Amino acid sequence: MTTERPVRVLLAILGLDQHEAGAFAVATLLRDAGMEVLYLGRFATPEIVVDAALEEDADIIGLSCHSWEYLYYLDELFELLHGREISTPVVVGGSVIGRDDENEIHAKGVAATFGPSSDANEIARQIRSLAEARGA
Amino acid sequence: MAERRTQSGIPLKPFYTAADVSPGGDDDASRERMGDPGVYPFTRGRMSSPRRRDSWIQQELSGEGTPRRSNEQFHQLIARGARGLDVIGDAPTMSSMDPDHPLARHAVGNTGVSICRFRDFEDLYAGLPLDELTLSHSLPPGAYAIAALHRIARRRGFDPKQLRGSTILLPAYCEDCSYQIHMPYELRMRLALDAVEFAATEMPRFHAFLEDTYYISDGGLNSIEEMALGFVEIREIVRALIRRGIDVDSFAPRIAILVNCRMDLFEEVAKIRATRRIFARMMREEFGAKDPRSWSCAITAHTSGLSLTMAQPINNVARGAVQGLALALAGVQAVEISCFDEAYRTPSHDSHMVSLRTQQIVQLEAGADRVADPLGGSYLVESLTDELEHRIVAMVAEIESLGTLEQVCDSGWFRRLFQQAMTRRAKAIQDGSETQVGVNAFKIPEDEDQLLRDHSESKIAPCRERIDEIRQFKQDRDAGAVAEHFARVREAGAASGINLIEPIADALEADLTQGEIAGALRLGVGEAYDPLRQMEPPVG
Repeated sequence: MTTERPVRVLLAILGLDQHEAGAFAVATLLRDAGMEVLYLGRFATPEIVVDAALEEDADIIGLSCHSWEYLYYLDELFELLHGREISTPVVVGGSVIGRDDENEIHAKGVAATFGPSSDANEIARQIRSLAEARGA
Repeated sequence: MAERRTQSGIPLKPFYTAADVSPGGDDDASRERMGDPGVYPFTRGRMSSPRRRDSWIQQELSGEGTPRRSNEQFHQLIARGARGLDVIGDAPTMSSMDPDHPLARHAVGNTGVSICRFRDFEDLYAGLPLDELTLSHSLPPGAYAIAALHRIARRRGFDPKQLRGSTILLPAYCEDCSYQIHMPYELRMRLALDAVEFAATEMPRFHAFLEDTYYISDGGLNSIEEMALGFVEIREIVRALIRRGIDVDSFAPRIAILVNCRMDLFEEVAKIRATRRIFARMMREEFGAKDPRSWSCAITAHTSGLSLTMAQPINNVARGAVQGLALALAGVQAVEISCFDEAYRTPSHDSHMVSLRTQQIVQLEAGADRVADPLGGSYLVESLTDELEHRIVAMVAEIESLGTLEQVCDSGWFRRLFQQAMTRRAKAIQDGSETQVGVNAFKIPEDEDQLLRDHSESKIAPCRERIDEIRQFKQDRDAGAVAEHFARVREAGAASGINLIEPIADALEADLTQGEIAGALRLGVGEAYDPLRQMEPPVG
């Protein structure tokens, strides 16, 4: 991947989870790290996310969660991504990702997970390296 | 060493002396500032003698799954010593959407109770002594709960005039933080005003006017911002009710504020004391209330969910104890301590009990409420009370100078404030300027962090059978009655000068759902039935 354009992260909250604190925090830290963040906002569905990822040529799909809805939407999301042969890495950040969930969603295909205790630099580093690996 | 500050940014001295507080004494100026407990301006508390004060109402936020499951939770809480209930809806309920909405499919009953019908409210309150309990409803907008509760009380032979409890309103802020209900400002405000006006005569002991500053502040607003926004909304509602020709003393005694309680112990105590003083002055001096009961604001509190951590969840028990102590020292009318698993989920049976027991220990063993306002006269607390009062009042004036509340809301000013606060708070945890034990200080390796972890991370499954149940219910009900009441609510929404509570109550009794009623009201004011455009009205 060239360094011509900044890493572009699509950020969304799925379903009726309306807590945005984590999404705003992550959007800010990624922008501070020089990335471009497209925040889709609340009430997103897997269809909306996949369409936007294609349209915006996102390097990363980021999901923020403060309810368990994401666990069920992930299946729908990966089905759509696979069906349309899209390999954009999906990362999930949120306050409700338990240890068991982490294993489960990695098995589903999630590339990285972050929680409220994650270090800001580490979040940015991992997202950048996922984006670069994809472009390589 | 960095300058020490309170959580809201007030600089702190190494220690405080008499020189830091306005002189006390028996002169008029001192009495106007402080007064005794139970006396204007109620800085030191709403009630004077311990006998009149009674203890605070000990309750816990609850609700999960179906209304029947939540009703079981209520009965368990009461059996454990709770004296009030506070019910929270799941995400669809909080968004005025029915379980059969496509976007609700993974969200039914797993972050609160699923409520959308009259019979849901009946199931929720089944077997409860409605005239003995305080029934708080974190179910915005409050119009549905007020309408349903009023009718259920009558059906079950209780006098609605004896009902106690509250509903949250949030007309100004609900679109911008947490649960958006997709209604325009004017409709949100009308629902709030109609609920307060209705309850003022029909349910006079019920706090239909609960200003919930917890709800708006737990994304990261500080104490000053929290109360400034609360007062801005209270002032707007009071002015609008007075413009309707309603006597201020008919509703003001029933205004209550549900405040947040963060971890900054002395600032939170001072905030509550300052809030009482600001409220009393505002009601007497500005709005001309004559009844002393209109001057003293009932304050209820919920401890900050944002202060809880998923790491080392047992630490949350200690946090709850400190916050519960702060609230007992400040003197409030009701308390809910967020439970140790609430960083992850709506509380479990066991965590409910720990939070209730924490309240009981603070009250009965520590004796924190034996005298009114035990911190009154503390140089620090009095100084902070004055400083918070000044800063809150100044921020209210600043917001009111920006335009009408509708203009300020629609301009996105509050949305930006909420967003900035969330970002600011996350940065403070990241850079360590705000300490959170177990997160940015005293972390332990994941594999050593076991105590209560499994318990705290147990999930609540979405209640999918409820989606089928509601679909079936909609097919089986009396279509003629549904059509008639849908049209009535829609017309009432379009007309002005009609109180919406009666048409909403009639519609609920005719088996219209909350999602449908919200949609009919939206159509009445020229908005889309379903803002997400995935549902059709029940009638053409």
